[in-house]
Amino acid sequence: MNLNFFDQFSSPSLLGIPLILIAMVFPALLLPSPGNRWINNRLSTLQLWFINLITKQLMIPLDKKGHKWALILTSLMMFLLLTNLLGLLPYTFTPTTQLSMNLALAFPLWLATLLTGLRNQPSVSLGHLLPEGTPTLLIPALILIETTSLLIRPLALGVRLTANLTAGHLLIQLISTATTTLMTTMPVVSLLTLAVLLLLTILEVAVAMIQAYVFVLLLSLYLQENI
Amino acid sequence: LTRSLVPSAPAALRALPPPVAVGVLHTTRPLHTTQQSLAPLPPLPEKGGEVRHGLIPEEFFQFLYPKTGVTGPYMLGTGLLLYFLSKEIYVINHETVAAACILTVIIYGIKKFGADVAAFADKLNEEKMAAAVAMKNEAIQTLQTAIEEEKKEQWRVEGRSFLFDAKRNNIAMLLETNYRERLLMVYNEVKKRLDYQVAMQNLRRQKEQEHMIQWVEKNVVQSITPQQQKESIAKCILDLKALSKSAHAAV
Repeated sequence: MNLNFFDQFSSPSLLGIPLILIAMVFPALLLPSPGNRWINNRLSTLQLWFINLITKQLMIPLDKKGHKWALILTSLMMFLLLTNLLGLLPYTFTPTTQLSMNLALAFPLWLATLLTGLRNQPSVSLGHLLPEGTPTLLIPALILIETTSLLIRPLALGVRLTANLTAGHLLIQLISTATTTLMTTMPVVSLLTLAVLLLLTILEVAVAMIQAYVFVLLLSLYLQENI
Repeated sequence: LTRSLVPSAPAALRALPPPVAVGVLHTTRPLHTTQQSLAPLPPLPEKGGEVRHGLIPEEFFQFLYPKTGVTGPYMLGTGLLLYFLSKEIYVINHETVAAACILTVIIYGIKKFGADVAAFADKLNEEKMAAAVAMKNEAIQTLQTAIEEEKKEQWRVEGRSFLFDAKRNNIAMLLETNYRERLLMVYNEVKKRLDYQVAMQNLRRQKEQEHMIQWVEKNVVQSITPQQQKESIAKCILDLKALSKSAHAAV
């Protein structure tokens, strides 16, 4: 029984033991590890096909040096996808609604791309701070702007994911509260809000998948610039 | 339990349902009590267990069937649900509505796209198998073609003697032709030499004749003394006069 709508986002703990780790590991329980059979069952086949699809999509624009990132990007994608989708079930806790976790994911990975670029090809990666063909007068201002946009990337990655998921969950809670409250007084309006809730749920499913994809895609784009 | 099973394996092992049999094998393996003669294991089943309503295994219904019949599990479920609701062990709040919505979306998605996704997964597996089967068939086809080619070669071997006869005839003809050519060459050479001898003889006789004629003429000319010359000239003049007289007379 929640007193306010923000209690759903508090990190779960049982008798003082934080359960956040179990919440983060839980999605992995849903993925069967591919056994040493040649023809697997449907779930394993689909899972393998899906992971192959994601990895190919991410690795095509990168050259051979970037393929070292395949494992971490694909596993990040699977983790975010499953965590977001599982959070849509009732009474579940979504770890990706915590800003701490998203920043902990975004910041080191972004910093890794930046340092890779600065170490291996410093002039090329610094050259990205100035787009081609800018008029000479604008160069100082543009460099400042591009530097700011570069430094704000990890914040943007983390906050984007957090905000999208938190907002979605909050909206679901609010509209379902409205539906429940209106059911006794104005049932017809309650049915309308139920319809809105159905549409919102479909949107939230889409947002969950898209946000995971966008996170990983942006990281791979930052990698392309710098590798 | 496992120690009692180990001596009487694999018959007892096969009596267990296959997933349990594999588990039993894996638990007895580290004990190293006997040699690992628990193979051959029964193969794992191809499909998973039967499920009703996508959630509850069929075995549960079979378990309750003897005591409560067909409607037993459903009555149990309804009773449990109503118990939780009426005792407010489960409180209806806004999450219930949200749960209803997400369940609707999930069930709608499964009903609509479930068969297609299953068919797609089956197609992926079928393609994998088809590629391997195609390889196998191609290998078989290659071997069969090789067998037929071999049979054709064996049939060809039977005509070997004709081939050799024809070749022998060819060679004999070549040899004969070569021999005759050389014979002709020898004949021509011999004739050339004999012609040369004949020509030599002819030349010699001709030269001898010429020489003789010249010698005779030279001697005759030498032997003409001046007196003979005068006498011959006087005779010639007399002859000419006589001739002219007869000529005058003729005219």
